[in-house]
Amino acid sequence: MGRVMEQPVVIKSNKYGLTVCLNNEPDFETLRSLVAKKFEESKKFFKGAELAIAFEGRELSQDEQIILVQEMIAHAGIKVPCIVDVDVAKEAVMKQAMEHTKASAEVSENGDGKFYKGTLRSGQVLESESSIVILGDVNPGATVVSKGNVVVLGTLKGSIYVGAGGNENTFVAALSMDPMQIRIADHIARNSDGPEKKDKKKLLKKKDKQEEQPMIAYVDAGNIYIEPITKEVLADINI
Amino acid sequence: MSEVIVITSGKGGVGKTTTTANLGTGLAKLDKKVVMIDTDIGLRNLDVVMGLENRIVYNLVDVVEGNCRIKQALIKDKRYPNLFLLPSAQTRDKTSVSPEQMVKLIDELREEFDYILLDCPAGIEQGFKNAIAAADRALIVTTPEVSPVRDADRIIGLLEANEIHKIDLIVNRLRMDMVKRGDMMSIEDVVEILAIDLIGAVPDDDSIVISTNQGEPLVGDDSLAGQAYMNICRRVMGEKVEMLDLDVKEGFFKKLSKLFK
Repeated sequence: MGRVMEQPVVIKSNKYGLTVCLNNEPDFETLRSLVAKKFEESKKFFKGAELAIAFEGRELSQDEQIILVQEMIAHAGIKVPCIVDVDVAKEAVMKQAMEHTKASAEVSENGDGKFYKGTLRSGQVLESESSIVILGDVNPGATVVSKGNVVVLGTLKGSIYVGAGGNENTFVAALSMDPMQIRIADHIARNSDGPEKKDKKKLLKKKDKQEEQPMIAYVDAGNIYIEPITKEVLADINI
Repeated sequence: MSEVIVITSGKGGVGKTTTTANLGTGLAKLDKKVVMIDTDIGLRNLDVVMGLENRIVYNLVDVVEGNCRIKQALIKDKRYPNLFLLPSAQTRDKTSVSPEQMVKLIDELREEFDYILLDCPAGIEQGFKNAIAAADRALIVTTPEVSPVRDADRIIGLLEANEIHKIDLIVNRLRMDMVKRGDMMSIEDVVEILAIDLIGAVPDDDSIVISTNQGEPLVGDDSLAGQAYMNICRRVMGEKVEMLDLDVKEGFFKKLSKLFK
């Protein structure tokens, strides 16, 4: 840690947060302004990020930690959902801490839903922070984006993106499921490239039975599954 | 009470102008005072379909810019004295007119006419915005194919966003033989996707091509398309006209074509 000690404030980062290495020499007020300066410089990089914070190299009281974190929030525009204990500032701990706070935040986000009545037409985009129930059709060329779940009480033919915040535990359900594209968190599935040439006769015929019944799409082990809505399937859905 | 109706489709070439010409003529036949406005500035067509091209002196842009009075630019139809056409300019473009100017122009026409029909250009840009600015209701023309229906869907969304909620659908160029074989969307398929009221369906008919080329709208004549257009006119006026059973129609059509073979 020799080199680290030469500078009074050093920021180390991992995927889930920052470890701030502090020198023991300067008094707290100097340190405070140095932290402020350091984070001000990195403002562009950090802005809006959600990070866990750990301190290293210097004993800090809880009040001192809070003061420093407040400096970081004020100067770099970061969000700090948790401060991790000095001694166990390991990435795994940060990960666990972050995911815990994130999950609880998402549950409350998904807790309330919205309703939308009407047909969504080509070119229209419906965006929602919460889950949404659509009383009508989603036509080809229309897009629905939700951080939560989407239920379509009609025909889904457009594009749909659920779990837009990255939540894989989201689903899409529709009375008639024939979407252009489904995105659930980071997973994308698209419709097949139209019927086989052999089926030309069927081209414009009524959709087959599968699409006529209510279906649900969800992610399991990294794959998107679209299945008829049955008790068994619903039992596996976590909200 | 006058009613301003925009005839639109999004997609080009599905029959907006032909529909406008036939509806205008049909409504005039039913003793209504009608003016048709061609809002497709730069691509003038309605006058050709009406057979009135040679009578144009002033046009829509002239009226809006104050080069002439409205009365001077209105062309009286050669068949019906209560039917008028306001042609568009051929040498200008869509930006020559603003939606506000259209509203002002149409408000002046409202006093004198029962029906004001606006022939909308294809697309969703300036020309479309001009055409819908003053409209009370809209007729969407589509053919039973995937891409015109897709565009019609987009147009309906835009109309609703512009507070036009009385929107009716005309399915044009329907070929019952293809529908029966499953090679073409049926009227029901189109209505199901677009979720608006159907005001009429027009079969694909050779006589339409002939009539447009001759500049004589066929509405009200013996042809199937002529009957279909006349029915649409009556429905536009609020009459309850039974939807023609298309299977019967087809039977009739087949008999007719067999007779001529």
